[in-house]
Amino acid sequence: MDLVTVKGLSKRYGGIVALSEATFSARAGEVHALLGENGAGKSTFIQILSGAVQHDGGSIMVDGQEYRPANPDAAQARGIAAVFQELSLIPDLSVEQNIWFRHEPRTLLRTVNRGEMRRKTLALLEKYNFPALRPDQELRRLTLAERQIVEIAKGLAKDPRILILDEATSALPAREAEWLLKLTRQLAAEGRLVIFISHRMAEVRAIADRLTIFRNGSTVAAHEADAVSDNEIVTQMIGRRLDRLYPERVPTATDRIALGVKGFSSGSRLSGVDFALREGEVLGVGGLQGHGQRELFQSLFGATRASGTIELWGNQVSISNPRQALTGKDGIALVPEDRRGQGLLLTKSVRENLTLSVIKRFTENGLLSRQKEAALVKEMVDFLRIKAGTPEQLAGTLSGGNQQKVIFGKMLLTQARVLLLYDPTRGVDVGTKREIFQLMRDLAAKGYAILFHSSDMPELVHVADRVLVMRNGRIAATLEGDHISEEEILRAAMLETKAA
Amino acid sequence: MEMAQRPAETKLTKPAIDWRGRLLDRAPFLVACLMLALIIGIYGGLQSGVFSLDELNLDTAAAMTLMLAATGQTIVLVRGGIDLSIGGMISLGTVIAATRFTDNPSTTALWALVILALGFLIGALNGLLISLLKLQPFLVTLATWSILNGVAMIILPTDGGSVPGWWVGFASAQLIGLTSPVWMLLALLLFWWWFRATRVGIAIQATGSNEKSAFLSGVSIARVNLVTYGLSGLFAAGAALFLVTQTGTGSPTIGKDYILPSVAAAVIGGVSLFGGRGHLAGTLIGAFVLTLIGNLVFVLHVSSYWQPVASGVILLLSVLASSVAEKAARNRVQ
Repeated sequence: MDLVTVKGLSKRYGGIVALSEATFSARAGEVHALLGENGAGKSTFIQILSGAVQHDGGSIMVDGQEYRPANPDAAQARGIAAVFQELSLIPDLSVEQNIWFRHEPRTLLRTVNRGEMRRKTLALLEKYNFPALRPDQELRRLTLAERQIVEIAKGLAKDPRILILDEATSALPAREAEWLLKLTRQLAAEGRLVIFISHRMAEVRAIADRLTIFRNGSTVAAHEADAVSDNEIVTQMIGRRLDRLYPERVPTATDRIALGVKGFSSGSRLSGVDFALREGEVLGVGGLQGHGQRELFQSLFGATRASGTIELWGNQVSISNPRQALTGKDGIALVPEDRRGQGLLLTKSVRENLTLSVIKRFTENGLLSRQKEAALVKEMVDFLRIKAGTPEQLAGTLSGGNQQKVIFGKMLLTQARVLLLYDPTRGVDVGTKREIFQLMRDLAAKGYAILFHSSDMPELVHVADRVLVMRNGRIAATLEGDHISEEEILRAAMLETKAA
Repeated sequence: MEMAQRPAETKLTKPAIDWRGRLLDRAPFLVACLMLALIIGIYGGLQSGVFSLDELNLDTAAAMTLMLAATGQTIVLVRGGIDLSIGGMISLGTVIAATRFTDNPSTTALWALVILALGFLIGALNGLLISLLKLQPFLVTLATWSILNGVAMIILPTDGGSVPGWWVGFASAQLIGLTSPVWMLLALLLFWWWFRATRVGIAIQATGSNEKSAFLSGVSIARVNLVTYGLSGLFAAGAALFLVTQTGTGSPTIGKDYILPSVAAAVIGGVSLFGGRGHLAGTLIGAFVLTLIGNLVFVLHVSSYWQPVASGVILLLSVLASSVAEKAARNRVQ
């Protein structure tokens, strides 16, 4: 019998229909993948299941009984736990306090029993072979990947019968992602139902028993995983045939060096990086996570202090803060890793987000020209095909893909011509991914120079003209032409190269 | 069954303690301790008899009203809010005490309980308004401050009334050489040590750290606000009850002198205005610092107007210390 049966589920936010007549059924002991573009209704669906929001219509049966959780607590009481993409962790609590938050073992004085909590934490981490975590470390000291792992531990700590993993692998480096996939199978083998959401087809293929596809707020299809092809899945997800994810790679690089970097060092994470990014080039930056990629992007943008020389379009420049990086035409702009935290003001409108850092461009005699602003905003919204009701829609209410487009627009409006893209497709749906790659190639053809990091290796392989592989804060290898492959990147990232 | 393999190179080992990180976390608190030591040092150099039990008893009594008010404020700040209404509550508490307390101990005790209950209820009302109307704590408590102030004025338009002598005597009552304010100080620390380790205490801290995450984890934000501001009101009422042992009378305006100092004491002690971080020990040290500045100005024989100047400089230094430590800590993560 099915553990979960959903019929006719509907949810509206004001005038926007997030879910209409969605159906879903899943059994205990299976890994059930949920597929669909961003904005297809997956997020709303799992928010309802986990009690974060309540549905307007339809019914959910869990174990043959009506299920309508008023809040996340009520969901947990019925054995349903979610590992959210937008994490539910508390920055100022320690790892173990986060894992057991609100379910802490207690002493007679009603205070937290720290010894017991430590013992339970280690037992949990050991049982599921978690990557190393320090139970007493404060969460805000952890990297995004480590936080994601804590979030997973927090979900498991409730010993749920149904565990929802929302894009849990997207923040994880390759090895940890692989661990999570195996863990998922282990949980299913223990008789739990794992509802698994991922934009990575290979992962879904590797672990899902069955899958349900959402589109435009409704269920399009449900399949046994081995009875359906990748092409059929993708077609059903986007409702049209997606010819190719990656655009054709036409070399557009000139000999002119846009960004020349020599002896670039920062703290212990970046030690002596040299490279040259050319006009019209998409230069990939790869390697295992945590080998200096983040620091490289942050330092080039002036957000982290670094030493070494930077030549921008042939002139030596010093960049000690983002303002200097963005200054003038042809400067440097960054699409940051943490879209919601660093890139966007979620409670501001699309228009405000786009124009905030370029107010000068439509100021005349010290006054704001609303007309000029509106024209620029319209140009960007059209150019990037940002799906917003009006330019006044709040950025926080857009889908992940559209938020990322707003960040691109913001960056393009600065008139920077050296673009630093740090994992720009993280948590973005397939359709938008494709648009972003096409945009990158188009921009390169227009003479922009693009430095591009992705945590998804195939993206580097298929989009970049050359790939820098980083190891221990250095460039371990530069791959070109036919040498760009996942295998070569991994080899350079993991193996010692011969001394040059 | 296939077991999940741990990723290679990330073996579960017993990790070393991050001493530098811990030190950076506590930097604002340590700076506050250093300041206190410095002030006591200077004070002791200029005045004889500073290093004595008598001095401890005296200074603690002088600081206790602020300490009580700042205890409530600390809970609110850790929640990520602010409570201006404590000013009104303290004024109201003193005028009720000055007009209702009698020589009859049971009547007085009853009214003392009424003041405490009123403090909790009005605070809880603050919390309720903040949750239900989704308003800024600053605005809600600004409004209730004004209302409470008005009510205090209606009850007692000018300073006056009195509390019985035995109530005043409470502040100098001794047990093994320590007066009751010193015991209250210890009780406050004990309370905090207990409270911050309870689930409610953790939920309050977590909500201040990241409200959305706390909500997604199942915390009832409305309940957190109710308890947070209720406790703040309760401690403000306690501050009023203690304050009348020092002044002996009621004052409908005296409470405003504790609003910003209660925030300053907490900030000097390393409590973050953005919520999620801070300890009462720091706040109490901050309250001592602010009180002893007054003593220092006195023994230096300079105009007493130098006291707010010195307090401001110290506040700036503390904020600077926390921001430097914060930056250092952030650079370590990246």
